Amino acid sequence: MNHVAVVDLGYGDAGKGTVVDALCASEPVTAVIRFNGGAQAAHNVVTPEGRHHTFAQFGSGTFQGVPTHLSRFVVVDPLALAAEAAALGNPFHLLTVDGDALLATPWHRAANQARERQRGSGRHGSCGMGVGETMAYALSHADAPRVSDVLSPARLRARLAEVESCYGRLPSAPLDDVVEVFAAFGRLVSVVDSSYLDGLLQRGRCVFEGAQGVLLDEWRGWHPYTTWSTTTFDNVAALCASFERLGVVRTYTTRHGAGPFVTEAPLDLPEAHNGVGEWQGSFRVGHFDAVAHRYAVEVAGGVDALAVTHLDSPARCPQLRICTSYDLDGARWDRIVPGPFQDLGHQAGLTALLNRARPGDLERPGDWAARIGDLLDAPVVLESHGPRHTDKRFLAGVR
Amino acid sequence: MGSGHWSTNVYSAAANYRAATGKSAFAYSDSGARKAHAALDPMNVGKRESRDSDEHPQSTPIAVLFDVTGSMGSVPRVLQTKLPQLLGLLTRKGYATDPHIMFGAIGDATCDKVPLQIGQFESDNRMDEDLARIVLEGGGGGQRRESYELAMYFMARHVSLDSMEKRGRRGYLFIIGDEMPYTQVKPKEVKTFVGDRLNEPITVEAMIAELRRSFEIYYIMPTAAGWGGDAEILGYWRQLLGQHVIALDDLDAVCETIALTVGLAEESIDLDAGLADLAEFGSAAGDTVGKALAPIGAGRGAVVRSPLDLGGAATPGGNERL
Repeated sequence: MNHVAVVDLGYGDAGKGTVVDALCASEPVTAVIRFNGGAQAAHNVVTPEGRHHTFAQFGSGTFQGVPTHLSRFVVVDPLALAAEAAALGNPFHLLTVDGDALLATPWHRAANQARERQRGSGRHGSCGMGVGETMAYALSHADAPRVSDVLSPARLRARLAEVESCYGRLPSAPLDDVVEVFAAFGRLVSVVDSSYLDGLLQRGRCVFEGAQGVLLDEWRGWHPYTTWSTTTFDNVAALCASFERLGVVRTYTTRHGAGPFVTEAPLDLPEAHNGVGEWQGSFRVGHFDAVAHRYAVEVAGGVDALAVTHLDSPARCPQLRICTSYDLDGARWDRIVPGPFQDLGHQAGLTALLNRARPGDLERPGDWAARIGDLLDAPVVLESHGPRHTDKRFLAGVR
Repeated sequence: MGSGHWSTNVYSAAANYRAATGKSAFAYSDSGARKAHAALDPMNVGKRESRDSDEHPQSTPIAVLFDVTGSMGSVPRVLQTKLPQLLGLLTRKGYATDPHIMFGAIGDATCDKVPLQIGQFESDNRMDEDLARIVLEGGGGGQRRESYELAMYFMARHVSLDSMEKRGRRGYLFIIGDEMPYTQVKPKEVKTFVGDRLNEPITVEAMIAELRRSFEIYYIMPTAAGWGGDAEILGYWRQLLGQHVIALDDLDAVCETIALTVGLAEESIDLDAGLADLAEFGSAAGDTVGKALAPIGAGRGAVVRSPLDLGGAATPGGNERL
């Protein structure tokens, strides 16, 4: 079966949602499968009729009626899910959740926000949703709450009580109320085991929708300005034997919040759906960073194809360029060599270097999509000129 | 990357899961309810409040009250499905700081059982619950008047706004309907539906003058409604509210219209920028909204919103509190 995994090669916000929506609109898709992150994802999709939704836990194929499966790698937030579902008209019939997925609780969220607050001006750019805190808690607590617990009231209560006592004084709702709403989530959402995913994969083409971007990967990003999530294709490979790797990039580079951003520039590129977040900080823009994106392709293990979004932007922004090398203390630097896997010391050193790097060679191509394809050494199969799936163009040899 | 866009409030989540368990979005009304839901009953409520908080230090109160009488046809149901998007529209582009939204419904106090329903100011999707609880009575009298003046009375005397009291910034009141107000606020109706004792009637002009101390008032007439586009009715409202009368061709554009009106008044945008934003969101409402708001936005950049003098001097023209 020709499954496809959609991964952002930058710092997120390249347009995974709109690409997933377009894939689901162009041919039958059995399910959209989420394989990382959680409720902090924000994938904006606009229908041709003008309806807009910021997808977080529901997959970006929902407007096309495509079911969503939240795999065991997703951190599930029943509270945010309720609000998102309501905005979509409660399409719970389109949702299945792996019972092994971790549950984000109000205490995790409060701890996440307290930690970011303590960092003051050194904030990491967290979304404040407690996803990282949930992952961290699970590493040190074998009995961390998981989705299947919502089907067993006694176990759910015990595990939530353990979280509450671990975080102690942090403000949250009373335990009883949290237990009640998590149980209500369990009554409404289909909780499945791991064999369900295998069935989906056999039934027909599935789209794996990534959250965030490779340059924010917990092991490969610019430590410590990263996410507690594997944003490369690694999780997809753990779930599915064979799939096409589709990398998404936009014609300029963006990032939320703190962290190195070599090509950042005062470009006039207003953003429809990304504002300044209380927890994330400002939305930053810059020239297309081919150096960092080539690194992303390399650490992701290569891509089979690319989707290039925001192709309507270069015409509106004459200053926009592609940066093909950095200037680091007078030396030219055109490749970031990946360090040993899971070596955060190395990544932190890299962050220090990147903070000193400046854009080196800048160019303005005639054909942006083709040039980006050349630089990242993969064919461009999808060009996007606007937010709707009708603004997308599939090029020959897509699949 | 990402956002905290969706509410993580435990109680609204619980309500949403309850709501999703096989019930209509208008379950309360559709269940045959013929009195105001306790959460929306204006009787003896004291004050509906819009308060600043740590999370929302600069609240901007926005009230949207719509006519639910029969002449409005299916309009209230369309509004109930559209209005939940309002908060997102306001916040995404920063048209208003910390918006607090209240929903309510207006009927005819001379013949309806539920002529006035007023929710709370909310800054998250709890406001959707209020929408779901509104009784769509579908009554009304057929005399081309509804009790808009009674709603104005409530909004003037039973609402307390931090934006006004702390910063001298008025809130926004949008009334969506298709008929005229009665010419007076009647003491008997106020007693029956709000619980206050009035010694004498208040003319609608005096009521509006008083209400304007705390709200910018707009009247939106959907042309799809019964008397939609009626020149006499529009003319009457223009006489009362001047250019704050908006004729709206396409009800689907109601959220965009309200959001842009607020954005214009807050001077966050001019009309062109607002319409460009709509295009950028992929909204198809641009033409309708542009047409509807042309009298408000055209050629003047933004509507100036005058801060009120908080010095305590009596506001001329207003009806003093009885």
